[in-house]
Formats: sequence, structure tokens, C-alpha cells
Amino acid sequence: MSIVEVKELRKQYDPPKGVLAVDGVSFDIEQGEIFSLLGPNGAGKSTTISMLSCLLKPSGGDAVIGGHSVVSDSQAVKETIGVVPQDIALYPDMSARENLVFWGRMYGLSGDALKKRVDEVLELITLVDRQKDRIEKFSGGMKRRVNIGVALLHKPKVLYLDEPTVGIDPQSRRSILDGILALREQGMTILYTTHYMAEAQELSDRIAIVDHGKMIALGTHEELVKIVGEGARVTARVDHYLEAMAERWREVQGVQKVDIEEDEAILLTDDPNEVLPRLFEAAAAAGSRITEINVTEPNLEMVFLHLTGRALRD
Amino acid sequence: MTKVLTIAWKDLRSTARNMPALVMMLVAPLALASLLGFAFGGGSGFDIAAIKVAVADLDTGAGAGRNAGADVRDILTSKDLKDVLATSVKSSAAAARKAVDDGDAAVAVIIPQGFSATVYGADPAATSQVELYRNPTSQIGGSIVEGIVGQVLANFDGARAAAAGAVAVGPQDGASPAQLAASAAQAYSRSGGMWSGLEVSERAPRAGKSEKDVSVTGQILAGMMVFFMFFGAANVARTILTEDRQGTMPRLFTTPTRRGTIIGGKFVAVFATITAQAVVLLIAGRLIFGIQWGRLDSVVLLTLVAAGVAGSLALLIIAFAKTPAQAGAIGSGIYLVLALLGGNFTGTAQSSGIFATVQRLTPNGWLIQGWDTTLRGGGAGDIRWQVLVPLGFAVAFFFFAVLRMRRRFA
Repeated sequence: MSIVEVKELRKQYDPPKGVLAVDGVSFDIEQGEIFSLLGPNGAGKSTTISMLSCLLKPSGGDAVIGGHSVVSDSQAVKETIGVVPQDIALYPDMSARENLVFWGRMYGLSGDALKKRVDEVLELITLVDRQKDRIEKFSGGMKRRVNIGVALLHKPKVLYLDEPTVGIDPQSRRSILDGILALREQGMTILYTTHYMAEAQELSDRIAIVDHGKMIALGTHEELVKIVGEGARVTARVDHYLEAMAERWREVQGVQKVDIEEDEAILLTDDPNEVLPRLFEAAAAAGSRITEINVTEPNLEMVFLHLTGRALRD
Repeated sequence: MTKVLTIAWKDLRSTARNMPALVMMLVAPLALASLLGFAFGGGSGFDIAAIKVAVADLDTGAGAGRNAGADVRDILTSKDLKDVLATSVKSSAAAARKAVDDGDAAVAVIIPQGFSATVYGADPAATSQVELYRNPTSQIGGSIVEGIVGQVLANFDGARAAAAGAVAVGPQDGASPAQLAASAAQAYSRSGGMWSGLEVSERAPRAGKSEKDVSVTGQILAGMMVFFMFFGAANVARTILTEDRQGTMPRLFTTPTRRGTIIGGKFVAVFATITAQAVVLLIAGRLIFGIQWGRLDSVVLLTLVAAGVAGSLALLIIAFAKTPAQAGAIGSGIYLVLALLGGNFTGTAQSSGIFATVQRLTPNGWLIQGWDTTLRGGGAGDIRWQVLVPLGFAVAFFFFAVLRMRRRFA
């Protein structure tokens, strides 16, 4: 069952000549799914989120969130969603707890229910010990966690996360990604935007790749990488007899192609898990030893490059 | 309503933690008022322009072209005194008194009916009183007008006495002019001051108020308070732009909280902050300078209306500014011009002519007038226009601010 239905959503700033930031984007998100919008900066991800958050009025199209239209029933949409903005949107001169209490009231919580929920969220973001410290004293990662905690206070059906891991240390990033996966386990539907390919790949049930305001591809990770039409790439080094080894590996079942570049062999295969043991066996039979081997699966970076002719990081 | 108060409370707490803002709101007006108060010596009023006088001449003359009332009126309106007196002629005593009540004149001079008959009559027991109806805050101006009118009346008395002396000695054949003058003077001196029936009588707008001493420091602190309330309001209202930049304002709009609630919460915070600022300044003025602010009803009304004007004007400026710095620069300019035009630094008692007109085009000008009236004991009824007009300004400012903000945050 779709909890988010986006239909031909469009946003043009200062029409008719202004920038067309989002150009007819359509997608559905199933209940309990993590759905990522992946694209470079300026692709239209944040504008899409802003329209789905009722912060921006669409120039065309509509989106229905939990049965409510963002165009005609924004108040009900706002009760359904939790929004984690890209930048830290907290009051720096207030403590973590004061921030959570304030935002909880803005979501309509009060009294014991508010207190209980604030305690739960502080546990969830692992900041119980620092709850009385002002936000301005927090590290970037801690601020990010409070930023996310605010959006969880009213237990929204759909959570929007707009690039929540930008500019933080790897440890905090890991903590946030684990937290998001845990939320999915609890049945929460998540719309995630990122320009980090690895995050989209790790978290998402489905991914929409956007560029210049348009959605250029949509599917599971596996479905998307098939667009590239290329298998996994295995690079291997041996202690000696590299050319002879290359000849033997060409005959191994499952290996599609073998090339030699400088001191390493480059093999293409559809199923590296099956092929790798055979490569080691062949090397042993030839009296060679594999000293280094790397497997590179086709990834979203390659998909984006394939579709746009540009690297995602550009 | 809970959300409005939650937003307001959050802003109030932030303001309370902002030490530079508190210094600006509370210490600066007190310090400035102290300096200016000491500079002007405290105690009585000070004049900065020609004294505004309203003359009502009820005298109809004594026939044969003799009209003492017209003579007094001509003296007060003469070119020789134009640097000292700005005199307007009123058709009735009530109109002249109203000019003082409304702040259009510092002193009303009311020449009574039958004044000429007394001056030119032969009865030494006849008396006539020229009434001076004066604004108690204009002590120096009132004294100057009293001195001028008193001198004119003394001259009339001298003339009456001289005429009476001449009549008393009668025709003396062969007497020289010097002998005649000496005889008249002797007769006048023997009359024992009977010819002093022309007097100046003083009145004030309300009984007892003329005795009230309105301190310069009180007037100045009232002006400073209104001026700095504008700055205090701007400081709190700027949090809207700060929040817009730090992302909390857009985030508020993603919560199920209506725009009107958010703007309302902001206004309540501004209003409460500057009301608190005014209360602190009023109490400090009383405790430090011993200022008698006046009747509680007037003080409360003026304080609340001033907070409303300052708050709504701050919102209007914020609604058009793009950054906190821009709002600060534009706001400071507007507040300074309003303060100069409205008389925050000069008070109102002696304002005249075009300055008085311009002063009434500003909300703070009306508030300053209201404070002048209140400082000399006026009640709520006496400052109704000084409350209603700024209230109208506040409503207009708020209306346009909300209109602009609805469009801006749509």
C-alpha cells in the first residue's frame, strides 16, 4: 500500500522564466519502505522535500501523503510527517531537552505524554546524559541526532530526512544510519535524500536517481545497476607468471573477459562469489600465488555516469 | 493559544539570556535620562522656542475709541515680542483654555469683559482681573507671560492714578506744568495705592495641578523610554529573521502550527518584553530619580499602547527586511527620525508651529504628549487621543506586517 503518492510534481521559481527546479517527478513509496532520492547538489532533491513538507507550493502536480494532499490539505499532511532538514534547525541557546519540549509542543504534545516522549527520544538519540546542555556546546554529530530526534517526537507515519549525514564524523554517521535502519524495523516509512551513493545503496529499498529536476531512473539497487549492463570487476595480482595465469583464467567458468594492465589482471564476471574460488584453484594448479585481489561490484556511481555522462560527485 | 504562548515564552527566555540586549533595553535609557536630566538641572521645565500664547479679548471697549483690552492684545501680538511670544488670538475664553489643554499653547491670556471700563473709569475701587491659564509644566514660559502682562497692567494703573491725581488737584491758574505734575503726584501718593485694581489672576487646567513640579528627568526618561522601547521591540522581532536564517522558522512551518499562530507568538513575545522593559524603567525612574509618573490608569494605558506601537512597527520593519543586519540598519534610521520628529529628546511643552504639527504625525509624538499630561497628573480621560491615535498606528502597522509576512512565508 502506498503511503506517499507523488504525481507529476513540478516547481518553477519566478515563472515563467525562472529556474525549473523540479520537472514532473512521480513516484510512490510503500508503507515501511526506505525510499531514497539520489542525485548531485542542485538536482532538485531538497525542493522536492520542501514541496512534500508543504513548505513550498508546487507549480504543478500534487502529492498525497497518508491520504492527504499537500496542495489542499497541508495541515493534515504536517501531522503525518516528520521533517529532518538538511541544516541543523534547533535553538542553540536552549538545551537539548528544552528544544525537544518546545518542538513537541509545536507538534501538539503536552503534559505527561510530552515528558514521556521526550525521555524516549533522548534515549533513542543517546543523549540522556547531555540533555541539559545547550545545543551550542554540542558536536556536529550530537546536533544531528537532536535534529533527527525533533522529527520523531510525534511518531510520524512518514519521516523525511534531507541529507542528514552531511559534514559529520564517520562514527556519528554510522550511528545515524543504524538509527534509520532501526526505525524501518519499527515500520516507519522513510524518504531519504542524499548525494552519497553508498548511503543510498546501504539504506534503501528503492532509489530514485534525480538530475536537473527530473527523475532519470527508479528501482532497487540491483535493478538500477543492471542498467549499466556490466558485471563485477575483479582485479588480481600474482607473484609470477601473470600472462600464463591470465590465459588459464580465461578458461575458468563464469569469467567473461580477462585483460592485463601493467602488473595486474582485470577480469569481468557476473557472479564473483562463484568465480573467486575457481580463480584461486587455477592459480594454485599453475604454481602461482594470488598476492592481491579486489572485487568491484557495479554501483550507482556507474549508473549515474552511464545515464548522464557525468560523475555523481560533479 | 498554547502554541502562541509556547513560542512567546521561548523568545522571552532567549531575550533574558541575551545580556547585550538587556543592557541596551534597560541600562541605556536610564543612563541617557540621567545625563540629560543633570545637564538640564532637573526640577523645572526648559524653553526651546517662543512661548505659545492664546489671547481671548472679551473686552468691548469704553467708547470714544478707548479699548484697553485691544491695547493688551496688540502688545502681546506685537512684532517686538515675536521672538519671545507666539501669540494666537482666540474668540472666546473657552477656546483659549482649550488651546492650553490641547497643548497648542503654554499660556492663555483672557482679558475680561469691562476691562476698558475699569481702566478708563473714575472709580478707584473698581477692579478687573486678567486671567492667565497656564500649563504647569511651562513654568518659565508662564512666568515670562505673567511678567509682560503684569507690566502692561501696572502701566494702566499708573495712568489711572495720574489721571485721578490731575482731577484731584483741579485747574490751578498760573501753575506751571511742573507744579501741576507735582500736585498730581502728591494726590496719587495720598490715595494709598487705591489705583491698583488691575490684577493678574492665575489658573491652571485642573485645581492643584499647577503646584505639581514636573521634573525634567521625568520628561526625558519618558521620551527615552518610548525611544528605547522601539529598539527593544526591534531586537526581539529580529529573531524572526534570525530564525529564518538558522532554519527554525521554516521548520516551524513544517509542524502542524498555523502561520498566524507563529506570528502571533512572536508578537506576544515582543509585546511582553517591551512592556517588562517599560515597567522596569518606570520603577527605576521612581526609585532612582523620584519621578512621580502620575495616575496608574494613565501610566498603564500609555505603557501598553507604546508597547503595541513599538511591537507592531518592529514587525512591519522585519516583514520587509531580508537580513537581521538590514532590519537593524533600517529600524535604527526609522526610530531615530521618529524620535526627532516626535519629540522624544525635547518633550512637547514648548513645541510650536510646524514642529507641533509634525509631532502629531508620529505615534511617539502622541505618546510623549500623553506622558506630559500624565506627569502633571492627567487621568485616562485626559489622554484619550494620546492613546487612541497611537493605537490606530499600532493596528495599521500590525495589519500591514501580517499581510506582508503571510505573503513572505506563504
